[in-house]
Amino acid sequence: MAQTIDLFNQYPLTLDPASKAISLTPSSSTYTSAQLSSITSELTTLNALHRSLISLEPPNIPPPPLPINPKRSAQINKLRDSANTAYRKNNHQEAVRLYTYAIEMALTRPGWEPVAVAREELAGLYANRAQAWMSQQGWVEGMVDARASVEGKPVGNVKAWWRGGKCLVEMGRWEEAKSFLNRGVEIEGKTSEGVKELLQLLEEVEEGVKRST
Amino acid sequence: MVDWITLAVPFAYLSILIGSLATFSSLYRKRKALKATSLEPWFPPHLQRDIYFSLMHLDPPPTPTSKGDKKPPAVPESVLKAALLRRAGEDIRRIMALRSQKQALSMLLQRGSVGDDLWQRFLRAEKEMEEEVRDVVAEANAYVPNWGQTIFQSANEMINNAVVRERIEKHQKKLDEEKAWWEKKKASIQEGFMKELDAETGSSTTTTTTTTTTTTTTTAPVASTAAAVVSESAASIKKVEASAPPASTVTESDDDAVLVEADDQAAAAAAAAQKSPAAGGSSSSKKKKKGKK
Repeated sequence: MAQTIDLFNQYPLTLDPASKAISLTPSSSTYTSAQLSSITSELTTLNALHRSLISLEPPNIPPPPLPINPKRSAQINKLRDSANTAYRKNNHQEAVRLYTYAIEMALTRPGWEPVAVAREELAGLYANRAQAWMSQQGWVEGMVDARASVEGKPVGNVKAWWRGGKCLVEMGRWEEAKSFLNRGVEIEGKTSEGVKELLQLLEEVEEGVKRST
Repeated sequence: MVDWITLAVPFAYLSILIGSLATFSSLYRKRKALKATSLEPWFPPHLQRDIYFSLMHLDPPPTPTSKGDKKPPAVPESVLKAALLRRAGEDIRRIMALRSQKQALSMLLQRGSVGDDLWQRFLRAEKEMEEEVRDVVAEANAYVPNWGQTIFQSANEMINNAVVRERIEKHQKKLDEEKAWWEKKKASIQEGFMKELDAETGSSTTTTTTTTTTTTTTTAPVASTAAAVVSESAASIKKVEASAPPASTVTESDDDAVLVEADDQAAAAAAAAQKSPAAGGSSSSKKKKKGKK
Protein backbone atom coordinates (compact mmCIF):
# COMPACT_ATOMS: atom_id res chain seq x y z
CA MET A 1 0.00 0.00 0.00
CA ALA A 2 2.71 2.40 0.92
CA GLN A 3 4.25 2.18 -2.50
CA THR A 4 1.15 3.01 -4.47
CA ILE A 5 0.76 6.34 -2.73
CA ASP A 6 4.18 7.40 -3.97
CA LEU A 7 3.47 6.53 -7.56
CA PHE A 8 2.08 8.94 -10.07
CA ASN A 9 1.80 9.35 -13.80
CA GLN A 10 4.04 12.09 -14.99
CA TYR A 11 2.59 14.43 -17.57
CA PRO A 12 4.86 16.43 -19.81
CA LEU A 13 3.81 19.89 -18.69
CA THR A 14 5.32 23.22 -19.55
CA LEU A 15 5.10 26.51 -17.78
CA ASP A 16 4.79 29.70 -19.73
CA PRO A 17 7.34 31.91 -17.99
CA ALA A 18 5.42 35.13 -18.61
CA SER A 19 1.86 34.21 -17.74
CA LYS A 20 2.72 31.23 -15.51
CA ALA A 21 0.10 29.26 -17.39
CA ILE A 22 0.54 25.51 -17.44
CA SER A 23 0.08 23.63 -20.66
CA LEU A 24 0.76 20.21 -22.01
CA THR A 25 3.93 19.91 -24.02
CA PRO A 26 2.73 19.73 -27.59
CA SER A 27 5.18 17.04 -28.65
CA SER A 28 3.49 14.40 -26.50
CA SER A 29 1.29 12.34 -28.74
CA THR A 30 1.10 9.21 -26.62
CA TYR A 31 -2.31 10.09 -25.21
CA THR A 32 -5.66 9.24 -26.66
CA SER A 33 -7.90 12.09 -27.67
CA ALA A 34 -10.18 11.55 -24.68
CA GLN A 35 -7.28 11.69 -22.28
CA LEU A 36 -5.91 14.70 -24.03
CA SER A 37 -9.15 16.61 -23.80
CA SER A 38 -9.58 15.79 -20.11
CA ILE A 39 -6.04 16.90 -19.37
CA THR A 40 -6.38 20.14 -21.26
CA SER A 41 -9.72 20.96 -19.65
CA GLU A 42 -8.24 20.25 -16.24
CA LEU A 43 -5.31 22.50 -17.04
CA THR A 44 -7.56 25.35 -18.13
CA THR A 45 -9.50 25.16 -14.87
CA LEU A 46 -6.23 24.99 -13.02
CA ASN A 47 -4.98 28.11 -14.76
CA ALA A 48 -8.21 29.93 -14.05
CA LEU A 49 -8.00 28.96 -10.42
CA HIS A 50 -4.42 30.09 -10.33
CA ARG A 51 -5.34 33.49 -11.69
CA SER A 52 -8.02 33.93 -9.07
CA LEU A 53 -5.60 32.84 -6.37
CA ILE A 54 -3.01 35.36 -7.50
CA SER A 55 -5.54 38.15 -7.21
CA LEU A 56 -5.89 37.40 -3.50
CA GLU A 57 -3.63 39.07 -1.01
CA PRO A 58 -0.76 36.94 0.30
CA PRO A 59 -0.46 34.18 1.38
CA ASN A 60 -2.51 33.48 -1.77
CA ILE A 61 -4.68 30.78 -0.36
CA PRO A 62 -8.45 30.78 -0.33
CA PRO A 63 -9.67 32.12 2.99
CA PRO A 64 -11.85 29.86 5.09
CA PRO A 65 -15.45 29.87 3.83
CA LEU A 66 -16.68 31.94 6.74
CA PRO A 67 -16.69 34.88 7.22
CA ILE A 68 -17.46 36.04 3.68
CA ASN A 69 -15.80 38.92 2.00
CA PRO A 70 -18.50 41.62 2.21
CA LYS A 71 -17.31 43.60 -0.81
CA ARG A 72 -18.98 41.58 -3.52
CA SER A 73 -22.19 41.12 -1.57
CA ALA A 74 -22.42 44.87 -1.12
CA GLN A 75 -21.95 45.45 -4.84
CA ILE A 76 -24.57 42.89 -5.74
CA ASN A 77 -27.01 44.38 -3.27
CA LYS A 78 -26.43 47.81 -4.71
CA LEU A 79 -27.13 46.58 -8.22
CA ARG A 80 -30.22 44.76 -7.09
CA ASP A 81 -31.56 47.82 -5.31
CA SER A 82 -31.11 50.00 -8.35
CA ALA A 83 -32.74 47.32 -10.49
CA ASN A 84 -35.66 47.19 -8.09
CA THR A 85 -36.15 50.93 -8.28
CA ALA A 86 -35.99 50.78 -12.07
CA TYR A 87 -38.63 48.09 -12.01
CA ARG A 88 -40.83 50.13 -9.74
CA LYS A 89 -40.55 53.03 -12.13
CA ASN A 90 -41.84 50.69 -14.87
CA ASN A 91 -38.49 50.85 -16.61
CA HIS A 92 -38.47 47.12 -17.19
CA GLN A 93 -35.72 46.94 -19.77
CA GLU A 94 -33.36 48.83 -17.54
CA ALA A 95 -34.32 46.55 -14.66
CA VAL A 96 -33.53 43.47 -16.72
CA ARG A 97 -30.17 44.92 -17.67
CA LEU A 98 -29.26 45.70 -14.08
CA TYR A 99 -30.43 42.31 -12.85
CA THR A 100 -28.29 40.71 -15.52
CA TYR A 101 -25.25 42.58 -14.24
CA ALA A 102 -26.03 41.51 -10.70
CA ILE A 103 -26.43 37.89 -11.81
CA GLU A 104 -23.14 38.00 -13.64
CA MET A 105 -21.47 39.33 -10.56
CA ALA A 106 -23.05 36.65 -8.40
CA LEU A 107 -22.03 33.95 -10.84
CA THR A 108 -18.42 35.03 -10.78
CA ARG A 109 -18.28 34.91 -7.01
CA PRO A 110 -15.16 32.90 -6.18
CA GLY A 111 -15.83 29.23 -5.75
CA TRP A 112 -14.54 28.88 -2.24
CA GLU A 113 -17.19 31.14 -0.79
CA PRO A 114 -20.08 29.31 0.82
CA VAL A 115 -22.43 27.76 -1.69
CA ALA A 116 -25.51 28.56 0.37
CA VAL A 117 -24.93 32.28 0.00
CA ALA A 118 -24.46 32.03 -3.75
CA ARG A 119 -27.60 29.96 -4.17
CA GLU A 120 -29.73 32.33 -2.16
CA GLU A 121 -28.47 35.33 -4.04
CA LEU A 122 -28.83 33.79 -7.48
CA ALA A 123 -32.30 32.49 -6.74
CA GLY A 124 -33.49 35.93 -5.69
CA LEU A 125 -31.91 37.66 -8.65
CA TYR A 126 -33.26 35.20 -11.19
CA ALA A 127 -36.74 35.40 -9.70
CA ASN A 128 -36.65 39.19 -9.92
CA ARG A 129 -35.40 39.11 -13.47
CA ALA A 130 -38.18 36.70 -14.35
CA GLN A 131 -40.65 39.24 -13.01
CA ALA A 132 -39.04 42.00 -15.03
CA TRP A 133 -39.22 39.87 -18.17
CA MET A 134 -42.82 39.00 -17.50
CA SER A 135 -43.85 42.61 -17.28
CA GLN A 136 -42.62 43.08 -20.82
CA GLN A 137 -44.17 39.85 -22.10
CA GLY A 138 -40.86 38.01 -22.25
CA TRP A 139 -42.51 34.74 -21.31
CA VAL A 140 -39.68 32.55 -22.57
CA GLU A 141 -37.01 34.47 -20.73
CA GLY A 142 -39.20 34.63 -17.66
CA MET A 143 -39.73 30.90 -17.68
CA VAL A 144 -36.02 30.15 -18.08
CA ASP A 145 -35.14 32.51 -15.26
CA ALA A 146 -37.81 31.08 -13.01
CA ARG A 147 -36.49 27.61 -13.64
CA ALA A 148 -32.97 28.75 -12.83
CA SER A 149 -34.26 30.37 -9.68
CA VAL A 150 -35.99 27.28 -8.34
CA GLU A 151 -32.91 25.29 -9.22
CA GLY A 152 -30.90 27.56 -6.96
CA LYS A 153 -33.40 27.52 -4.14
CA PRO A 154 -36.37 25.19 -4.40
CA VAL A 155 -37.77 25.67 -0.90
CA GLY A 156 -39.29 28.96 0.20
CA ASN A 157 -39.30 30.32 -3.32
CA VAL A 158 -43.03 30.46 -4.01
CA LYS A 159 -42.66 33.55 -6.16
CA ALA A 160 -40.38 31.82 -8.61
CA TRP A 161 -42.63 28.78 -8.82
CA TRP A 162 -45.62 30.97 -9.48
CA ARG A 163 -43.80 33.03 -12.08
CA GLY A 164 -42.57 29.97 -13.92
CA GLY A 165 -46.07 28.53 -13.95
CA LYS A 166 -47.54 31.78 -15.12
CA CYS A 167 -45.08 32.04 -18.00
CA LEU A 168 -45.90 28.53 -19.11
CA VAL A 169 -49.60 29.33 -18.92
CA GLU A 170 -49.10 32.40 -21.05
CA MET A 171 -47.39 30.30 -23.68
CA GLY A 172 -50.23 27.81 -23.61
CA ARG A 173 -48.04 24.96 -22.35
CA TRP A 174 -50.66 23.65 -19.97
CA GLU A 175 -49.20 20.24 -19.28
CA GLU A 176 -45.78 21.63 -18.49
CA ALA A 177 -47.32 24.31 -16.30
CA LYS A 178 -49.25 21.65 -14.43
CA SER A 179 -46.22 19.50 -13.71
CA PHE A 180 -44.13 22.53 -12.81
CA LEU A 181 -46.71 23.85 -10.38
CA ASN A 182 -47.32 20.43 -8.91
CA ARG A 183 -43.64 20.10 -8.24
CA GLY A 184 -43.66 23.54 -6.66
CA VAL A 185 -46.55 22.70 -4.36
CA GLU A 186 -44.92 19.41 -3.43
CA ILE A 187 -41.63 21.04 -2.51
CA GLU A 188 -43.13 24.02 -0.75
CA GLY A 189 -45.57 21.95 1.22
CA LYS A 190 -49.28 22.61 1.46
CA THR A 191 -49.06 24.66 4.61
CA SER A 192 -46.44 27.26 3.85
CA GLU A 193 -47.52 30.79 3.09
CA GLY A 194 -47.98 31.79 -0.50
CA VAL A 195 -48.89 28.28 -1.55
CA LYS A 196 -52.48 29.45 -1.87
CA GLU A 197 -51.59 31.43 -4.93
CA LEU A 198 -49.82 28.45 -6.41
CA LEU A 199 -52.89 26.32 -5.88
CA GLN A 200 -55.06 28.98 -7.42
CA LEU A 201 -52.90 29.08 -10.50
CA LEU A 202 -52.90 25.31 -10.56
CA GLU A 203 -56.68 25.27 -10.66
CA GLU A 204 -56.60 27.66 -13.55
CA VAL A 205 -54.11 25.43 -15.29
CA GLU A 206 -56.24 22.39 -14.80
CA GLU A 207 -59.15 24.15 -16.42
CA GLY A 208 -56.83 25.04 -19.26
CA VAL A 209 -55.75 21.44 -19.64
CA LYS A 210 -59.36 20.37 -19.85
CA ARG A 211 -60.13 23.02 -22.43
CA SER A 212 -57.15 22.24 -24.61
CA THR A 213 -57.87 18.52 -24.83
CA MET B 1 34.07 -37.37 21.27
CA VAL B 2 31.23 -35.82 19.40
CA ASP B 3 29.40 -38.09 17.09
CA TRP B 4 29.19 -35.81 14.05
CA ILE B 5 26.93 -38.04 12.09
CA THR B 6 24.25 -38.39 14.72
CA LEU B 7 24.51 -34.69 15.50
CA ALA B 8 24.06 -33.79 11.83
CA VAL B 9 20.68 -35.46 11.71
CA PRO B 10 18.78 -32.96 13.95
CA PHE B 11 20.58 -30.04 12.39
CA ALA B 12 19.62 -31.23 8.93
CA TYR B 13 16.08 -31.69 10.15
CA LEU B 14 15.95 -28.18 11.56
CA SER B 15 17.51 -26.57 8.51
CA ILE B 16 15.13 -28.36 6.14
CA LEU B 17 12.17 -27.38 8.28
CA ILE B 18 13.12 -23.74 8.56
CA GLY B 19 14.12 -23.57 4.91
CA SER B 20 10.86 -24.99 3.71
CA LEU B 21 8.88 -22.69 5.97
CA ALA B 22 10.81 -19.68 4.75
CA THR B 23 10.29 -20.55 1.09
CA PHE B 24 6.62 -21.17 1.69
CA SER B 25 6.17 -17.88 3.48
CA SER B 26 8.06 -15.88 0.89
CA LEU B 27 6.20 -17.54 -1.96
CA TYR B 28 2.88 -16.98 -0.23
CA ARG B 29 3.61 -13.34 0.40
CA LYS B 30 4.76 -12.77 -3.11
CA ARG B 31 1.69 -14.34 -4.51
CA LYS B 32 -0.55 -12.31 -2.23
CA ALA B 33 1.20 -9.10 -3.21
CA LEU B 34 0.85 -10.01 -6.84
CA LYS B 35 -2.82 -10.64 -6.36
CA ALA B 36 -3.26 -7.33 -4.59
CA THR B 37 -1.53 -5.41 -7.35
CA SER B 38 -3.40 -7.26 -10.02
CA LEU B 39 -6.67 -6.02 -8.53
CA GLU B 40 -8.07 -3.20 -10.56
CA PRO B 41 -7.95 0.16 -8.82
CA TRP B 42 -11.33 1.45 -7.66
CA PHE B 43 -10.96 4.84 -9.26
CA PRO B 44 -9.47 5.92 -12.56
CA PRO B 45 -6.08 7.63 -12.34
CA HIS B 46 -6.13 10.72 -10.19
CA LEU B 47 -5.49 13.36 -12.83
CA GLN B 48 -5.23 16.32 -10.47
CA ARG B 49 -2.78 14.50 -8.26
CA ASP B 50 -0.70 13.49 -11.23
CA ILE B 51 -0.60 17.05 -12.45
CA TYR B 52 0.38 18.28 -9.02
CA PHE B 53 3.29 15.87 -8.80
CA SER B 54 4.26 16.52 -12.39
CA LEU B 55 4.48 20.19 -11.55
CA MET B 56 6.57 19.46 -8.49
CA HIS B 57 8.96 17.44 -10.57
CA LEU B 58 9.01 19.91 -13.42
CA ASP B 59 12.55 21.17 -12.98
CA PRO B 60 14.65 20.46 -14.89
CA PRO B 61 12.08 20.96 -17.65
CA PRO B 62 11.73 18.17 -20.16
CA THR B 63 11.68 20.48 -23.15
CA PRO B 64 15.06 21.68 -24.35
CA THR B 65 14.63 25.41 -24.74
CA SER B 66 16.46 27.33 -27.40
CA LYS B 67 17.57 29.97 -24.92
CA GLY B 68 20.67 27.99 -24.17
CA ASP B 69 21.92 27.66 -20.64
CA LYS B 70 19.45 30.11 -19.13
CA LYS B 71 17.60 28.17 -16.49
CA PRO B 72 13.83 28.51 -16.72
CA PRO B 73 12.13 29.36 -13.47
CA ALA B 74 10.84 26.64 -11.22
CA VAL B 75 7.09 26.43 -10.86
CA PRO B 76 5.89 29.32 -8.72
CA GLU B 77 4.31 28.42 -5.44
CA SER B 78 0.96 29.92 -6.35
CA VAL B 79 0.59 27.47 -9.22
CA LEU B 80 1.36 24.60 -6.90
CA LYS B 81 -1.21 25.90 -4.44
CA ALA B 82 -3.82 26.02 -7.14
CA ALA B 83 -2.93 22.50 -8.22
CA LEU B 84 -3.13 21.33 -4.62
CA LEU B 85 -6.56 22.88 -4.29
CA ARG B 86 -7.72 21.07 -7.39
CA ARG B 87 -6.32 17.88 -5.98
CA ALA B 88 -8.22 18.37 -2.74
CA GLY B 89 -11.38 18.91 -4.74
CA GLU B 90 -10.99 15.63 -6.56
CA ASP B 91 -10.22 13.92 -3.25
CA ILE B 92 -13.47 15.15 -1.81
CA ARG B 93 -15.38 13.87 -4.79
CA ARG B 94 -13.79 10.46 -4.33
CA ILE B 95 -14.41 10.36 -0.61
CA MET B 96 -18.06 11.19 -1.22
CA ALA B 97 -18.27 8.41 -3.77
CA LEU B 98 -16.71 5.94 -1.36
CA ARG B 99 -19.03 6.95 1.43
CA SER B 100 -22.11 6.56 -0.66
CA GLN B 101 -20.99 3.22 -2.01
CA LYS B 102 -19.86 1.68 1.25
CA GLN B 103 -23.24 0.84 2.69
CA ALA B 104 -24.64 -0.66 -0.46
CA LEU B 105 -21.50 -2.63 -1.10
CA SER B 106 -21.34 -4.11 2.40
CA MET B 107 -24.97 -5.13 2.11
CA LEU B 108 -24.30 -6.82 -1.19
CA LEU B 109 -21.27 -8.55 0.27
CA GLN B 110 -23.30 -9.89 3.19
CA ARG B 111 -25.84 -11.32 0.85
CA GLY B 112 -23.10 -12.79 -1.25
CA SER B 113 -24.11 -10.90 -4.34
CA VAL B 114 -20.61 -9.60 -4.97
CA GLY B 115 -17.30 -11.32 -4.69
CA ASP B 116 -14.61 -10.77 -2.13
CA ASP B 117 -12.39 -9.20 -4.78
CA LEU B 118 -14.64 -6.22 -5.08
CA TRP B 119 -14.64 -5.71 -1.36
CA GLN B 120 -10.85 -5.94 -1.28
CA ARG B 121 -10.60 -3.37 -4.00
CA PHE B 122 -12.95 -1.11 -2.12
CA LEU B 123 -11.01 -1.41 1.13
CA ARG B 124 -7.82 -0.65 -0.68
CA ALA B 125 -9.33 2.43 -2.27
CA GLU B 126 -10.51 3.58 1.14
CA LYS B 127 -7.08 3.16 2.64
CA GLU B 128 -5.49 4.96 -0.27
CA MET B 129 -7.85 7.87 0.11
CA GLU B 130 -7.00 8.14 3.79
CA GLU B 131 -3.34 8.38 2.92
CA GLU B 132 -4.08 10.81 0.17
CA VAL B 133 -6.01 13.13 2.47
CA ARG B 134 -3.26 13.04 5.05
CA ASP B 135 -0.76 13.84 2.35
CA VAL B 136 -2.76 16.79 1.07
CA VAL B 137 -3.16 18.21 4.55
CA ALA B 138 0.57 17.88 5.17
CA GLU B 139 1.37 19.59 1.87
CA ALA B 140 -1.05 22.40 2.58
CA ASN B 141 0.44 22.97 6.00
CA ALA B 142 3.85 23.08 4.40
CA TYR B 143 2.81 25.96 2.16
CA VAL B 144 0.94 28.01 4.71
CA PRO B 145 0.62 27.07 8.35
CA ASN B 146 -2.89 25.97 9.28
CA TRP B 147 -4.09 25.84 5.68
CA GLY B 148 -4.57 22.12 6.12
CA GLN B 149 -7.54 22.78 8.36
CA THR B 150 -9.46 24.75 5.78
CA ILE B 151 -8.30 23.41 2.43
CA PHE B 152 -10.93 20.72 2.33
CA GLN B 153 -13.67 23.10 3.39
CA SER B 154 -12.71 25.42 0.58
CA ALA B 155 -12.49 22.57 -1.88
CA ASN B 156 -15.91 21.34 -0.84
CA GLU B 157 -17.50 24.72 -1.37
CA MET B 158 -15.81 24.96 -4.72
CA ILE B 159 -17.27 21.68 -5.86
CA ASN B 160 -20.76 22.58 -4.72
CA ASN B 161 -20.56 26.00 -6.30
CA ALA B 162 -19.44 24.45 -9.55
CA VAL B 163 -22.38 22.05 -9.44
CA VAL B 164 -24.90 24.83 -8.84
CA ARG B 165 -23.43 27.00 -11.59
CA GLU B 166 -23.51 24.11 -13.98
CA ARG B 167 -27.18 23.42 -13.31
CA ILE B 168 -28.18 27.02 -13.68
CA GLU B 169 -26.10 27.25 -16.81
CA LYS B 170 -28.00 24.27 -18.18
CA HIS B 171 -31.28 26.11 -17.75
CA GLN B 172 -29.95 29.27 -19.29
CA LYS B 173 -28.56 27.41 -22.25
CA LYS B 174 -32.04 26.32 -23.22
CA LEU B 175 -33.05 29.93 -23.70
CA ASP B 176 -32.26 30.12 -27.39
CA GLU B 177 -33.99 26.87 -28.15
CA GLU B 178 -37.08 27.93 -26.22
CA LYS B 179 -37.03 31.32 -27.88
CA ALA B 180 -36.99 29.74 -31.32
CA TRP B 181 -39.87 27.49 -30.34
CA TRP B 182 -41.89 30.39 -29.01
CA GLU B 183 -41.31 32.46 -32.13
CA LYS B 184 -42.60 29.59 -34.21
CA LYS B 185 -45.57 29.09 -31.93
CA LYS B 186 -46.34 32.78 -31.95
CA ALA B 187 -46.21 32.85 -35.72
CA SER B 188 -48.55 29.89 -35.95
CA ILE B 189 -50.96 31.47 -33.49
CA GLN B 190 -50.95 34.67 -35.51
CA GLU B 191 -51.51 32.68 -38.66
CA GLY B 192 -54.41 30.95 -37.01
CA PHE B 193 -55.93 34.29 -36.11
CA MET B 194 -55.47 35.52 -39.66
CA LYS B 195 -57.11 32.44 -41.05
CA GLU B 196 -60.04 32.77 -38.72
CA LEU B 197 -60.49 36.38 -39.63
CA ASP B 198 -60.05 35.57 -43.29
CA ALA B 199 -62.64 32.86 -43.02
CA GLU B 200 -64.98 35.24 -41.30
CA THR B 201 -64.67 37.97 -43.90
CA GLY B 202 -64.48 35.44 -46.73
CA SER B 203 -67.62 33.65 -45.60
CA SER B 204 -69.56 36.89 -45.34
CA THR B 205 -68.63 37.75 -48.92
CA THR B 206 -69.56 34.28 -50.09
CA THR B 207 -72.98 34.62 -48.52
CA THR B 208 -73.53 37.86 -50.34
CA THR B 209 -72.39 36.37 -53.65
CA THR B 210 -74.55 33.32 -53.16
CA THR B 211 -77.58 35.48 -52.57
CA THR B 212 -76.81 37.35 -55.75
CA THR B 213 -76.38 34.12 -57.67
CA THR B 214 -79.63 32.75 -56.34
CA THR B 215 -81.44 35.90 -57.33
CA THR B 216 -79.93 36.08 -60.80
CA THR B 217 -80.06 32.42 -61.73
CA THR B 218 -83.28 30.55 -61.95
CA THR B 219 -82.18 26.97 -62.76
CA ALA B 220 -82.77 24.43 -60.03
CA PRO B 221 -79.39 22.64 -59.86
CA VAL B 222 -77.52 25.89 -59.45
CA ALA B 223 -79.78 26.91 -56.63
CA SER B 224 -79.17 23.64 -54.91
CA THR B 225 -75.38 24.02 -55.13
CA ALA B 226 -75.66 27.54 -53.87
CA ALA B 227 -77.70 26.33 -50.95
CA ALA B 228 -75.00 23.80 -50.20
CA VAL B 229 -72.39 26.55 -50.27
CA VAL B 230 -74.49 28.65 -47.93
CA SER B 231 -74.78 25.83 -45.46
CA GLU B 232 -71.04 25.27 -45.77
CA SER B 233 -70.22 28.89 -45.03
CA ALA B 234 -72.68 28.88 -42.15
CA ALA B 235 -70.83 25.87 -40.78
CA SER B 236 -67.54 27.70 -41.09
CA ILE B 237 -68.98 30.69 -39.27
CA LYS B 238 -70.18 28.39 -36.55
CA LYS B 239 -66.68 26.94 -36.39
CA VAL B 240 -65.22 30.39 -35.98
CA GLU B 241 -67.64 31.10 -33.18
CA ALA B 242 -66.89 27.81 -31.58
CA SER B 243 -63.15 28.37 -31.64
CA ALA B 244 -63.37 31.95 -30.47
CA PRO B 245 -64.68 31.57 -26.88
CA PRO B 246 -61.68 29.77 -25.38
CA ALA B 247 -59.40 32.48 -26.68
CA SER B 248 -61.52 35.15 -25.07
CA THR B 249 -61.61 33.36 -21.73
CA VAL B 250 -57.86 33.04 -21.88
CA THR B 251 -57.53 36.74 -22.43
CA GLU B 252 -59.84 37.44 -19.53
CA SER B 253 -57.47 35.72 -17.21
CA ASP B 254 -54.79 38.35 -17.52
CA ASP B 255 -54.82 42.04 -18.26
CA ASP B 256 -51.47 42.06 -20.03
CA ALA B 257 -52.52 39.23 -22.25
CA VAL B 258 -55.64 41.11 -23.23
CA LEU B 259 -53.47 43.96 -24.37
CA VAL B 260 -51.21 41.73 -26.43
CA GLU B 261 -53.92 39.74 -28.01
CA ALA B 262 -55.99 42.81 -28.63
CA ASP B 263 -52.99 44.22 -30.44
CA ASP B 264 -52.61 41.01 -32.34
CA GLN B 265 -56.25 41.00 -33.22
CA ALA B 266 -56.09 44.59 -34.40
CA ALA B 267 -53.07 43.82 -36.54
CA ALA B 268 -54.68 40.68 -37.87
CA ALA B 269 -57.89 42.51 -38.58
CA ALA B 270 -56.00 45.19 -40.46
CA ALA B 271 -54.18 42.57 -42.46
CA ALA B 272 -57.42 40.73 -43.09
CA ALA B 273 -59.07 43.94 -44.21
CA GLN B 274 -56.30 44.41 -46.73
CA LYS B 275 -56.64 40.88 -47.84
CA SER B 276 -60.40 40.67 -47.89
CA PRO B 277 -60.95 42.02 -51.41
CA ALA B 278 -58.71 39.31 -52.77
CA ALA B 279 -60.40 36.67 -50.64
CA GLY B 280 -63.80 37.86 -51.65
CA GLY B 281 -62.75 37.90 -55.31
CA SER B 282 -61.44 34.39 -55.19
CA SER B 283 -64.55 33.08 -53.51
CA SER B 284 -66.84 34.88 -55.96
CA SER B 285 -64.88 33.49 -58.92
CA LYS B 286 -65.25 30.07 -57.44
CA LYS B 287 -68.92 30.69 -57.16
CA LYS B 288 -69.14 31.69 -60.78
CA LYS B 289 -67.48 28.50 -61.84
CA LYS B 290 -70.00 26.55 -59.86
CA GLY B 291 -72.78 28.60 -61.28
CA LYS B 292 -71.68 27.75 -64.83
CA LYS B 293 -72.02 24.14 -64.09
